[in-house]
Amino acid sequence: MSYVNVTLVQLVASLGLMALAIVLSARDGLGLEKDMAIGTVRAAMQLFAVGLLLALLFQHEHPVAVLGLIAVMVMVAGWTAARRISYGPGTGVLFRYATLAVLVSGAVVLIPVFTFVIRPARWYEARLLVPISGMILSNGMNGVALVFERVFASVHDDAASVEQLLSLGATPQQAVERHTRAAVRAALRPTINALLTVGLVALPGMMTGQIVSGTAPGQAVRYQLVIMYQLVAVAVVAGAMAARFARALSFTPQKQLRSFDDRARPLGPPKA
Amino acid sequence: MPNILEAKGLRKHYDGRVLLDGVDIALERGSITTVGGPSGGGKTTLLRILGFLTEPESGRVLLDGTDVRTLSPEEVRRRVALVAQAPAMFEGTVLDNVRTGPRLQGKSLPEEEARRALERTGLDAQLLRNDARALSGGEKLRVALARALVLSPEAWLLDEPTAALDPERADLVVDLLRSLAAQGAPVLVVTHDERALKRLCGRCCTLAGGHLQADGRE
Repeated sequence: MSYVNVTLVQLVASLGLMALAIVLSARDGLGLEKDMAIGTVRAAMQLFAVGLLLALLFQHEHPVAVLGLIAVMVMVAGWTAARRISYGPGTGVLFRYATLAVLVSGAVVLIPVFTFVIRPARWYEARLLVPISGMILSNGMNGVALVFERVFASVHDDAASVEQLLSLGATPQQAVERHTRAAVRAALRPTINALLTVGLVALPGMMTGQIVSGTAPGQAVRYQLVIMYQLVAVAVVAGAMAARFARALSFTPQKQLRSFDDRARPLGPPKA
Repeated sequence: MPNILEAKGLRKHYDGRVLLDGVDIALERGSITTVGGPSGGGKTTLLRILGFLTEPESGRVLLDGTDVRTLSPEEVRRRVALVAQAPAMFEGTVLDNVRTGPRLQGKSLPEEEARRALERTGLDAQLLRNDARALSGGEKLRVALARALVLSPEAWLLDEPTAALDPERADLVVDLLRSLAAQGAPVLVVTHDERALKRLCGRCCTLAGGHLQADGRE
């Protein structure tokens, strides 16, 4: 089997769909026209740039170049996860922890799979390493961002209960156990939902891509299953690490609850 | 008499304002101390520092002569009860709430002990099975007192404990605080309640402008 080429003219023709979306947005007053127009151009620029980079990488495949690109992906994932937090320690502090969580969770999931399951001809084969690492690191990044956001915000909102538990002799772990557990569960939910409904609602992107480009459906399914199991594992590891980091960052060395906005905290809920 | 809880030279500022400017306080065994003063004057901050929930910028807190920073924070907080004016209730029944402290240490508290603690605060023990979050403000305060009572703390810190109570219930809480002091635990109460002040018969202090001063009335 072979894949069907998309010519540049055909690609430009597909812009008609974006034009339709923009017209409908304007007509219904959604106010998304500008974002859609920018997104159309930006997505094209980003993907063409990545395409060029990948083509270059495939032509001059070298371990340093492949690992270098993956290292950049880890750093960008760490930065993105740290930057999304609305309440908590500064991005500079969170970046270190987010990057470490993305790196470790990615390594825990990717190394065994590339060693025992999907075994590339060369260990640094960019065609396999780069796209699969991208998917896995991205899921790790989302897990870290969700857990950070939720733990810091919910502990802050529930500071009175947390401090009441501390006052009764709770360790920080006991005092925020409910919050970290809820955050990890919430972070895992989208990945688990995807696992439960895969194939019933939609065919996943990677499998669709493989089938469209000529891979036998049976092989595409096997690849997709490996990826889905990796996505769950990376979300669990990244989420659990992020929860531990968030807990550690929420308390001082004297196990007192930190406030990140320097607001004076009352004893107990706000007084009526 | 030796001081069970003592603070020396506490300093703390917030938002450019000095809340505590070298505050010294000593709580002797069996004593009752009340602290009044303007709102936002640092009274709650003083309680938080003594209860080891906030660090002062300088100064130190001694528990039975030992600097609290050399002890485990969990131990200090179990030994010093801190009861907020509007205490947060944990999910579950009143019994679950009263059992929280022992549960955190991996111990179980017999229902009879929880019942006794609740009755000492003047709360009807029939409420044990009720949802703690559905209680009134005054009932929540007494559950918080019972929650701390079962840990047998060595010192008590209370923020406006009678503010949400009718005079009759407030008197019961005052009686409880007096009995705790009579058993040897020093009690520090932040309050503006004149009736409670009179009935507590404690040493009255005022915290204002960062300084804690004895009122001279008992």
